[in-house]
Amino acid sequence: MIRKNAGRMIAAAMLVSSAALLLGGCGSSSKGEYAGQTLHVYNWGEYTGENQIADFEALTGAKVIMDNFESNEQMYIKVANGDSFDVLVPSDYMIERLKQEDLLQPIDKSKIPNMDQLSDEVLGFPYDPDNEYSVPYFWGTVGIVYDKTKVSEEDLAREGFNIFLDEKYKGDIYLYDSERDSFMMALKALGYSMNTKDENELNEAYEWLLQCVRTMEPEIVTDEIIDNMAQGRKALGLIYSGDAAYVMSENEDMGYYLPESGTNVWSDGMVIPKNAQNVALAHEYINFICDYDAALDNSETVGYTSPNADVMKDLSSEGGEYYGINAYIPRSGYEKDEVFTYDEATRKVIAELWSKVKVAASNA
Amino acid sequence: MKKFPQLAVPYIVWSAIMLLLPMLLIFFYSITNQGNSIVSFTLTLQHFHKFFTDPDFLLILWRSIAIAVKTTLICVLIGYPVAYFIANSSDRARNLLILVITIPMWINMLVRTYAWIGILSDGGILQSFLSLFGLGDVELMYTEGAVLLGMVYNFIPFMILQINTSLSKMDKSLLEASSDLGADGVQTFVRVTLPLSLPGVVSGITLVFLPAVSSFFIPKLLGGGQFFLIGNVIENQFITVGEWNFGSAISVIMAIIMMLSMYLVRRLDKDNTAERRVTGV
Repeated sequence: MIRKNAGRMIAAAMLVSSAALLLGGCGSSSKGEYAGQTLHVYNWGEYTGENQIADFEALTGAKVIMDNFESNEQMYIKVANGDSFDVLVPSDYMIERLKQEDLLQPIDKSKIPNMDQLSDEVLGFPYDPDNEYSVPYFWGTVGIVYDKTKVSEEDLAREGFNIFLDEKYKGDIYLYDSERDSFMMALKALGYSMNTKDENELNEAYEWLLQCVRTMEPEIVTDEIIDNMAQGRKALGLIYSGDAAYVMSENEDMGYYLPESGTNVWSDGMVIPKNAQNVALAHEYINFICDYDAALDNSETVGYTSPNADVMKDLSSEGGEYYGINAYIPRSGYEKDEVFTYDEATRKVIAELWSKVKVAASNA
Repeated sequence: MKKFPQLAVPYIVWSAIMLLLPMLLIFFYSITNQGNSIVSFTLTLQHFHKFFTDPDFLLILWRSIAIAVKTTLICVLIGYPVAYFIANSSDRARNLLILVITIPMWINMLVRTYAWIGILSDGGILQSFLSLFGLGDVELMYTEGAVLLGMVYNFIPFMILQINTSLSKMDKSLLEASSDLGADGVQTFVRVTLPLSLPGVVSGITLVFLPAVSSFFIPKLLGGGQFFLIGNVIENQFITVGEWNFGSAISVIMAIIMMLSMYLVRRLDKDNTAERRVTGV
């Protein structure tokens, strides 16, 4: 899912590339098994633990080149056009798409012994039931971040996602600029499945969103929501659980609510594309990320929930970084929650309709 | 003088590959349907039809043009006096001032626009400053004003440099002649300086209007997701919707609008020049 703001991403990318230059200079002296080799990783911006790359390079002697993307679609265009990476970290539905389009290669699980450490709750998601092609990197839910001093809990409980149509909060809400998440919210508010292919239901959701942008004066943002909610700028917003965990750790007035109508449970996973050039090193990297230390570093730095069962437990129990923050532990086993599946025709309809919602919002 | 026409060949080949070919591809996409390969395509005008029959798209096109016109006007109004001042400075001061105008352009436009987010955002530098005067609640980000500011800021150097060039190239003896003939400062400016600097203004207008009307990341960053201009619609069609054909059709429409406006502006300039010759100014 999308992280922090791109300004920081640029700074981070510059740091990474200058670090890569520096390491390139002394790389020849390291003695790891993979000394002199290179691993190309394509991941979300601001999605890696602060020591992840350095630790992996020290362990293997290989050099890591990390590129960042801002959206699954942006990553897809590069990969589908033949750019070669060794490891990608797309989201659930995009993994399904890459799989369908035959762009992934199966993962050799005998080379990923650390998969044992992963929580059962995050394995076997419908997009890859046997985890043949993907190993979870982070997971979480999508919910409502709200200012406890401005929003009453009764309103949330009574209205769920429909609170985004409640004119009491007009001018005080953030929407997230993503067609999938927005339609998920609208479909769930209307009581439908977020994976529906039914044209009428999709149209109703479109009307729901139109009403929202026409009557509620929302600001449609992406990662600006993180800092802005941490500073308490608005009352309500649609947010990813990991970002909510960060917001709540920064500002104790903030809460995270999962509507009873159900929501989206998602996971981003590591996959190896067909045209990867260093498959052995890619397995090594995936195995490394699953291990306790790297997973702890990742989750502590980024705020998203670790698929590593012990890391998740330790960070959320007393003394852990996210103790008492409900957003950190994804709701699991709730029957109305769903995982995204990929359907090209529906994706297109939703993308088209969402762009019309934004057009309507600009004309409102 | 001996000519070497064959020396131009690499440039022609280069322009054909880098400029002409992509444009032809865009045009090809705009009149075909998705999913078909070069071997089996069908021609269609449905993408153009879709654009021109949807009032929402037309409204956005209108708004994009309006904001580009506003940007251009502000750039002329601010840029002209600045360029005039620079052109009339001493050589040393002029070089320094031009350097000052150009230095920001060494930094990537995207980064410069990000800097404005820090200045304009809620709780940012400007709002903190305004709150000293009890104006802390003024919304700065995600407004048309913010987008306009971002555009003027990014594109005004083009205007200043163009006008400055034509002002500096002007023969100063014309000004002396004008005052010898009894014209005062204002008359000299209106009847000599201004007409002679018009070509600079015209190319400045072209250089500001064209990027402004198609800009997409400035409205995206400073206007937010609910501030769509035509450039954003195109980007959205390519990146998120995946409708390359419709996106290409809008690009073609934009290209035509731009060529038309360039043609009109040049005509205006030519008419002026012709008139000047006739009236002997």
